[in-house]
Amino acid sequence: MKLANTIIIGLATATLLILGCSAKPSVSEESLGLRKSDLYTESNATRGDQTKYGTSVAGSGHKIPRAFQDAPPMIPHDTEGMLPITIDNNQCVSCHMPEVASSMGATPVPASHLTNFRPVTALSKDGQLTANGAVVTNTSSEKQEDISIKSTDGKLSNARFNCSACHAPQSEGIAVENNFKPVFTSKDGANKSSWNGAKMLEGLNTAEGK
Amino acid sequence: MSLSRREFLKSSAAASAAAAMGMTIPATLQAAADTAESNWRWDKAACRFCGTGCGIMMATKDGKIVAVKGDPAAPVNRGLNCIKGYFNAKIMYGADRLTQPLLRMGEDGQFDKKGKFAPVSWKRAFDEMEIHIKKALKSGGPEAVGVFASGQYTIMEGYAAQKLMKGGFRSNALDPNARHCMASAVVGFYQTFGIDEPSGCYDDIELTDTIVAWGSNMAEMHPILWSRVTDRKLSDPERVKVISIQTYNHRTSDLADVEIIFSPNTDLALWNYIAHEIVYNHPESIDWDFVKKHIVFAASPVNIGYGMRKAGEKSLTPVNPDGSAGKYSAKEMQIINKEMSKVVSAKEAPALKPYGYKEGDVMTNKDAPLNNLAHWEISFDEYKKFLEPYTLDYVATISKGNPDEDINEFKKKLQTLADLYIEKGRKVVSFWTMGMNQHTRGTWVNTLAYNVHFLLNKQAKPGDGAFSLTGQPSACGTAREVGTFCHRLPADMMVENPKHREITENRWKIPKTTLNPVGNQHIMKIHRDIEDGFMKFAWVNVCNPYQDTASAEHWIKAAREMDNFIVTSDGYPGISAKVSDLILPSAMIYEKWGGYGNAERRTQLWRQQVLPVGDAMSDTWQWVELSKRFTVKDVWGEQPLRGKNEDGTPKKLPSVIDQAKAMGYTEDTTMYEILFANKEAQSYKVDLNSFPQQGYDNSEVIGDSRNVEGSDGKVFKGYGFMIHEYLFEEYASFGRGHGHDLADFTTYHKVRGLKWPVVDGKETQWRFNVKYDPYAAKETKESGNSHAFYGVLAKELMQGDLMGVKDKTKIALKNKAKIFARPYMDPPEMPDAEYPTWLSTGRVLEHWHSGTMTMRVPELYRAVPEALCYMHPKDADTFGVKQGELCWVESRRGKVKARVETRGRNQPSRGLVFVPWFDEKVFINKVCLDATCPQSKQTDFKKCAVKVYKA
Repeated sequence: MKLANTIIIGLATATLLILGCSAKPSVSEESLGLRKSDLYTESNATRGDQTKYGTSVAGSGHKIPRAFQDAPPMIPHDTEGMLPITIDNNQCVSCHMPEVASSMGATPVPASHLTNFRPVTALSKDGQLTANGAVVTNTSSEKQEDISIKSTDGKLSNARFNCSACHAPQSEGIAVENNFKPVFTSKDGANKSSWNGAKMLEGLNTAEGK
Repeated sequence: MSLSRREFLKSSAAASAAAAMGMTIPATLQAAADTAESNWRWDKAACRFCGTGCGIMMATKDGKIVAVKGDPAAPVNRGLNCIKGYFNAKIMYGADRLTQPLLRMGEDGQFDKKGKFAPVSWKRAFDEMEIHIKKALKSGGPEAVGVFASGQYTIMEGYAAQKLMKGGFRSNALDPNARHCMASAVVGFYQTFGIDEPSGCYDDIELTDTIVAWGSNMAEMHPILWSRVTDRKLSDPERVKVISIQTYNHRTSDLADVEIIFSPNTDLALWNYIAHEIVYNHPESIDWDFVKKHIVFAASPVNIGYGMRKAGEKSLTPVNPDGSAGKYSAKEMQIINKEMSKVVSAKEAPALKPYGYKEGDVMTNKDAPLNNLAHWEISFDEYKKFLEPYTLDYVATISKGNPDEDINEFKKKLQTLADLYIEKGRKVVSFWTMGMNQHTRGTWVNTLAYNVHFLLNKQAKPGDGAFSLTGQPSACGTAREVGTFCHRLPADMMVENPKHREITENRWKIPKTTLNPVGNQHIMKIHRDIEDGFMKFAWVNVCNPYQDTASAEHWIKAAREMDNFIVTSDGYPGISAKVSDLILPSAMIYEKWGGYGNAERRTQLWRQQVLPVGDAMSDTWQWVELSKRFTVKDVWGEQPLRGKNEDGTPKKLPSVIDQAKAMGYTEDTTMYEILFANKEAQSYKVDLNSFPQQGYDNSEVIGDSRNVEGSDGKVFKGYGFMIHEYLFEEYASFGRGHGHDLADFTTYHKVRGLKWPVVDGKETQWRFNVKYDPYAAKETKESGNSHAFYGVLAKELMQGDLMGVKDKTKIALKNKAKIFARPYMDPPEMPDAEYPTWLSTGRVLEHWHSGTMTMRVPELYRAVPEALCYMHPKDADTFGVKQGELCWVESRRGKVKARVETRGRNQPSRGLVFVPWFDEKVFINKVCLDATCPQSKQTDFKKCAVKVYKA
């Protein structure tokens, strides 16, 4: 219902805007923004949009399409009892590591999660900053050699241990329609990451527009 | 990047090319893409959100952004973004983007403060702004014209705003939302180092043994830095220790070896406890050689108030018999009265004993807001005397924040904390953000952090240092470095310093004495000036001050009810837009060329990726177009200022029109011609055939295919010179050679950012350290010292003891830093019988600030669709409220309704509730108190007293 309202208000506003200069002053303060109720007093009419996370059971096969090619997928299942992620207990990996994922009906973590992109950072004997053993002039990578891509030999990359930094369970509805249109370059792009191998380097040479 | 092999990108050749480049792409990763993305254009950019400053790669197809990925070449984040970072792709595409100016008007088409909005042309919008700015100038002089500025301005926007406000309108009432975010950190830097911004860099994380998070939920607020902390911790779990010092349990503690839950404001006592341990119980751990060469000890007054309104201010008069005053209720005045005087509590009395106070004494706060930055040198013995009260017993008693925790267990944790800092050979990084900055003693607690690191010689060294993280993407790069604060000019210069004004006037080619020497209209003062009816015109840029300011009901009413004209430029209609008289549609982040500077001094630039929506134009364009409406005679005649000179005459700014004429300007020369389209500006050429302009949109410079009707009613065809480069280079010229050296505009388009000072093409990793910082090396040629704290602000001090100045002779402390004696004190409002619970506010991972962008991304909205009230289950029982049901959260100032959460990601102890502020429908800033650090003027959003009850 909220969605329908939003669209109607959106259309009304759009119509007004099309009318341009001849428009009458008819865009009310209340019609703008996310809070449509009185801003100046807090009444019963004003309340947050209730959180209703999905209750689908992990492993049941329900998936949420990715927002765009290689976007982090959102969590389609109930996370009750699975959080927090602590140093001794990361329940996400027990189902999502590639060796177990298919048998658990879970999305396996993709290649990017089994890759370490950060060079080994240390100090040389005389105290200079080094990356993968080479003294660093500028940490900014201006050359291909400065990009470090190493396999973690099937282990989850330490940098990606906090799963909830990128993946979140999902409630219902929207606040406002979003006109972003994804373009999937792989057939199953809505369900699967293709960011692996050579693609990890794609487009990085921005100085040459490639 | 200087990749020369185009074939490298073809998937068939990529594996062998990668091998040739010396990279290892694992065999398991070599699956090629199903479809080539040959019609996608990838370019680099900086993330829109927090102060971490991650690099993103952004793909554009047919004029729309279609994808975002973490940039593997970006040193900050190495191929990874957080959930918000990935959704940079979607923040510009919400269906209710503002596409045309909207003006409140009556049926007759004239502006009407009480009217509804109607779409108007850009020309009409600028007509109205011109009318109302001129009216405001006439009414109250330059101080009646204000701007709510931003730590999310691009560098160029901030610089353009600064030039027209300070150089054109002669108004210093330009202050950023960054005031709410890191002003305490800034004053801490100034007082300690004499220069702003951190010594260290993010590589400290990989190089340290100990990470201590002080009142900072890094896991949610700086998730990519937290991923680096996590990486470090997991790589050596035995050696690397993580300590989480918080007022409530949250995700940052999930990884910690030790979690310390402290009572709000007692971080002051915790830092002093560590210093007490060092000085009294482990004096051998003090590096006296370092301290003697590099450090002086200092003290300052304690009766400085809490940055609230003061008796006699217009909105606090008349004072009524029932205790109310002016626009403030009797309940509000219970707290505001503490601005004038307060009674010393049992909790703070021991800490204030060295200052001559005892429990029950009335402390009268000095009514000297401009002098409260004063401090003077003291002896080490005097500092030691100051530290005496901070025994383990006293500190543990006042700081234990979880009533259900055993005091002896808590004491053990404090001892562990001190031991880790003190341990010889153990590297320690202390991180903090809002917990220590949004604090009525925020400046104090920032300086206390450096104390501990200095005593141990664990500052400004690889893997060692107290490191103030910043909240916003360009709080450092724009607000601080460009100086879009009421008291600042570029490169750490100050409006009150005549030499600094002259340098700026010369560089801007404006007459001497044009600049206003009075810079005191910080963001709370701007709100209060509007409420007092003095400020008549205010413009909101890249921020949301009517949602983000505490005591919010006062300000939204002042905007709507007082005689004024409020303008908001934004991408979406947030609360600030709603309460405005004129709303301007702004181009959003990747719809314009821009640059941000992050918390490790890294400056990053990007190009315009797509055209703005509708008729939206960038904030830079809006400032430059406004400048066309004002001539020399409009703004450079004699102007009144508030207050009186020492001789009793009214303050004013002199006319500089004659000088302007002598410089070759006429009375009718516009500010556009002087400040933005001058000869120097015109020398930055449009060059569509070479890097970086080639192939990219540039709406301000060459116009664009939308053919937007501009401020003169004609199609805007562009300025015809490279204004972004001009603004950047002119700004950068202030810092070069002065410890703030930036590289050139084109270089920043090639690299993934550089950490200033950039000297001879090389960035600086650790400032003040001779080994890494060429400025420090230069300063120590003769002394041979290891460090030089070469900042120049407040580097001459009088001499005294804790009680005050004893000898007014000023002694220079060149290249030295300061250790400050600053005691624990209570905040002005604490829980009591009627309002029994602390309220803390803040952000959540999935939303940025007031949610105007992130609430419009469906994935982020659905992740956290509402602001919850997090509380302890036993408190919920006590309050008679239930998990998942609605409760009222009410303070002396206002109330909101929120849903109770006792099982979520934040788990407060009994006695504290947390409500994030992103949700317009849970308008928590109506509940918060607008008390500030009296030195930094930064609001304390982390503490006030509330009651919670069933809704």
